[in-house]
Amino acid sequence: MSSKNDLFNYPFSHIYVEHAVADHPLTKTILKRFSKSVVIPIEHYKDVFNRSRQNFGEQKKSQSLILARRSGPSVYKGAPVCQDFGYDHFYYASSIMNCIFDCEYCFLKGMYGSGNIVVFVDLEKAFAEVEELLSKHPVYLCVSYDTDLIALESLTGFASRWAAFALAHENLTIEIRTKSFRKDIYDTITPCERVIFAYTLSPDEIIQKHEKKTATLSERLSAASYAMEKGFPVRLCFDPLIYCRNWKDAYSSMLFEVKDRIDTGRLKDISVGSFRIPSDYMKKLRKDFPGSSICQFPYENRGGVFQYPKNLQNEMEKTLVTMLQSLVSKEKIYMTDFEEKDEGDT
Amino acid sequence: MFFFQCALAAEAKPLISALSLRKDTNPCPYDTYFAEDSSCVLAISGIGSLTGASSATYLLTRFGFRSESDFFINFGSCAGKNPGLYLINKITDSTTGRTFYPDMLYDLSSCGLPASSENALVTVDKIVSSLEDPASLYDMEASGIYQAASHFLSPHRILFLKYVSDSGVKDVKAITREYLTECAQKQIPSVLSVMEKLKDACDDDSAFDEELFLSTALALRASETMRHELAQLFRFAKAEDLPIEEILDSLHEEGLIPAASKREGKVVIDELKKRLI
Repeated sequence: MSSKNDLFNYPFSHIYVEHAVADHPLTKTILKRFSKSVVIPIEHYKDVFNRSRQNFGEQKKSQSLILARRSGPSVYKGAPVCQDFGYDHFYYASSIMNCIFDCEYCFLKGMYGSGNIVVFVDLEKAFAEVEELLSKHPVYLCVSYDTDLIALESLTGFASRWAAFALAHENLTIEIRTKSFRKDIYDTITPCERVIFAYTLSPDEIIQKHEKKTATLSERLSAASYAMEKGFPVRLCFDPLIYCRNWKDAYSSMLFEVKDRIDTGRLKDISVGSFRIPSDYMKKLRKDFPGSSICQFPYENRGGVFQYPKNLQNEMEKTLVTMLQSLVSKEKIYMTDFEEKDEGDT
Repeated sequence: MFFFQCALAAEAKPLISALSLRKDTNPCPYDTYFAEDSSCVLAISGIGSLTGASSATYLLTRFGFRSESDFFINFGSCAGKNPGLYLINKITDSTTGRTFYPDMLYDLSSCGLPASSENALVTVDKIVSSLEDPASLYDMEASGIYQAASHFLSPHRILFLKYVSDSGVKDVKAITREYLTECAQKQIPSVLSVMEKLKDACDDDSAFDEELFLSTALALRASETMRHELAQLFRFAKAEDLPIEEILDSLHEEGLIPAASKREGKVVIDELKKRLI
């Protein structure tokens, strides 16, 4: 009798490789590392990634890797639901699609039809696009939105390459967001004020229940602290705030641990925002994850974005900001105000 | 539930016997067999991609597929260099040049299907007399079956189990029914083992109490929109393991259920929401 645990193939047991990148050095490095995986040649990554009726949740249990080249743009304007931290020219780069972590609420589950990971091995194409933008104005670029680059660093080396690229371009500021425990990257790259490492934090009970495969709170704080010691600017992201019945206690305990483990005076800044997701993404999430309490929560649809009921949202955000003000000055706390921003835009 | 599709009766015969399937005596476009306990159903499609697609659609619609829990398995012969049973990970339609990729999520090595048994397959419209690409397998249905079945099921729930019967023949009569049945018979233990293993992936434990939902919606005089809202609360309660039945009982005791009007019903749904979060 088998159990559900041994039902699935191991992660990256199958690697789909576009013909066009079969000879790319990174492709060769990755295939050498996963020499036991089944390699399936493909014409275009969308033949696999964009198939209809894929089950994101099931694919997450046995993720395949797709190695491809970028046929469209790699750099996009930042979305209104994302925090721009006051930068005028806010973009994000998509060099990898999807993540090895499995956060129940992740917007990628609503955005993509597949749970498999696509690595665009031709990172140099993204660099060229950013250089084109830099010729017009300074750029603030989030490079780890559609994935967790630090978690995939040993596979791709992309985080280090982005950091080196930013170091060489003085009008470029990048943010590398993560939920990883890894610290080794800070021993190998050069600190730069314009390379911000952002740690998304949640209470441990949220992590254990809803952020599968990610580092514990303690591990994240340890990595963030190490990054600061090494001279890197560090941002803490309490975004998304996730509701649970005892959220006040849970977040209060978390902040106690933050205070205990981090020299908060050295933080670059902090962002706060409660969970929110475009309604079409949420419709897909609800269909694909019927057993997820986060997906099935009775949210309000305000302006095409699913959010906690207004009272609850305000209470959660205000409570957290009040608690945070004992750790850092008010000016360092960025609130997500996309509803106002949207109204302003229209 | 397992939906099986074989091109020929000679290929299906050992499976029908091993699963103790009964022939459906109702008028059917394809010879159809089913298990008494509704755990599986099998159709014999005939040869060719189009009839493969048609029979897949027939099976899945007639027997009420459930996309969250059912599997569709094409079991049959193919041409190839080396004998054995193969799990197909890539299908190319030789006519259109299109490719299709069933998801390879399950570890079936304990069923006699290790990673080395995975292979690409080309669907052709005529019997092959020789192997154009010796590394590939050749059949006449898979492309059509995949295209049809993928309208109903996720790509990880569509499996192609192909056994090599020949390496291309000039005369189709060279392959007898008895020989095909004999080849199929050898693979039955693996097929049964695959079914046993995939039974673990047939559970759908996210469904809520439909009867309680319907009676509540009726008692609240719920409109279609209110039903959606109520269903969402039932799903949330199920996911969070909250005692929605107890909460509804207390709303009954407090005289809020049944509601006298749709407007009152809406107030009760709001109250239910408050008590759940």
